[in-house]
Amino acid sequence: MTAHLKLLGLGVLLLLLHALGTSILPALARPDFVLIFVLTLGLRIGGGTGALALAFLMGFCVDVLSGSPLGLYALLRGTACVLTRLVDRALYLRASLPWAIYVMAYAFVDAVLMSLTLRVLVPEGMIPWGTVLLHVPLAGFITAILAVPLLSVTQRLEAEVQGEGAWTSLSSRARV
Amino acid sequence: MSDLLRRLSYPLTYLTLVGLCVIGMTTHRGPVELGLAHRILLSITLPLERIVTFPVREARRLWRDYTGLVDVREHNEVLRQRVTDLELENLQYKEAIVSSERFQRLASFRAKREIPMVPANVVAQDLSPWFQAVIIDQGSSAGIGPGMPVITDSGVVGVVAGTTPGASKVLLVIDPQSRVDVYVQRTRARGTLRGRTDLDCEFLNVLREDDVREGDLVLTSGLAAMYPKGLVVGRVSRVERKPYGLFQRAEVEPAVDFSKLEEVFVILERRELPADDAFFSESAELWPEARE
Repeated sequence: MTAHLKLLGLGVLLLLLHALGTSILPALARPDFVLIFVLTLGLRIGGGTGALALAFLMGFCVDVLSGSPLGLYALLRGTACVLTRLVDRALYLRASLPWAIYVMAYAFVDAVLMSLTLRVLVPEGMIPWGTVLLHVPLAGFITAILAVPLLSVTQRLEAEVQGEGAWTSLSSRARV
Repeated sequence: MSDLLRRLSYPLTYLTLVGLCVIGMTTHRGPVELGLAHRILLSITLPLERIVTFPVREARRLWRDYTGLVDVREHNEVLRQRVTDLELENLQYKEAIVSSERFQRLASFRAKREIPMVPANVVAQDLSPWFQAVIIDQGSSAGIGPGMPVITDSGVVGVVAGTTPGASKVLLVIDPQSRVDVYVQRTRARGTLRGRTDLDCEFLNVLREDDVREGDLVLTSGLAAMYPKGLVVGRVSRVERKPYGLFQRAEVEPAVDFSKLEEVFVILERRELPADDAFFSESAELWPEARE
């Protein structure tokens, strides 16, 4: 329980860091701490529905504190968690370099998914591809760099979570 | 059976949450009163965000105050001279107003038309790099409601997109979802202003033959039932006129510096499009013969 609370606390802390980043850094160089968090949720502890719900909740928090259409970030962050879980089964992502490359690549995928979702569901809020491609590279790179130390933090938490009894689906995954 | 359910719980949870998000996105369009979950989350996260961003805001303010002290003596001299000039000018205007009955009527009319406004401070910025919204520290308890325009002394800021009792979310004019009906002050050329995320706007639907030039002042037309007429939005920074097509395209640099936005005013007046029958009832009063 303590480890789960620590995980939740880490999520809140990263959300606040994200908010702090918006006050200090320009949009082109702003790391997405919430994205890193939900990717790590998908990577390790992310087997369970609890982690999935937490990823959606983090996305919803971003929706609440931004001008995005309600549910956009919840959808994107939940999907990030699920896709990472799927990719994690095929590729080894738990070392620093593969993890950083994956986070960088996912930053691109996330921007493309966001743009496509807007085109389909909220066409009036559509963002031009040029703007998307201009914003992603530097911000994605910084996000990838910062994702590496956060991976080790969450790996420690994972060990604690597993010691206390993991979330439901994680236990089923362990059997598989 | 229970093993099957356990296996299905993950995809089912995902699909359910995705469904909820899609419903949220397709139904919550435009300015709305925020839902309960939204309010609760905003009430929890906003104070935390305020605490985190407070040192940054204060550091910025201190730096601005410090840099503002440079050359302050010379500025003071210039300003004193200007104040004296303006006081003299003001006296002349006052005299003219008092002596003219017509001006007096105009003055009283203006007083009646004065728009009620609420000042508010920007307490949080948009967490997403793709959208442009801010959160202000005044909400529905101060009389603010969704759809109310937000301005500063420089020009139009945006529109209230949602409210809680103590805070409101303001969608800025530079947000890609924002649309403002505007016209060019010099030539009255009309068009639609659309946000572009990059702290500027696109001026769309301007007829090709309309005269639009760099530096032209762009004002709200008051026709889209959101903003009052005549508020400054920005200046045309670039014009793109192709040799074909019905419309030309321009870029507008907003009058407000959104990167330094701190204090705003919310106009406590929600403008709504008149109902269809309202137009007919008014026109019937003006031209009764047209009704027949």
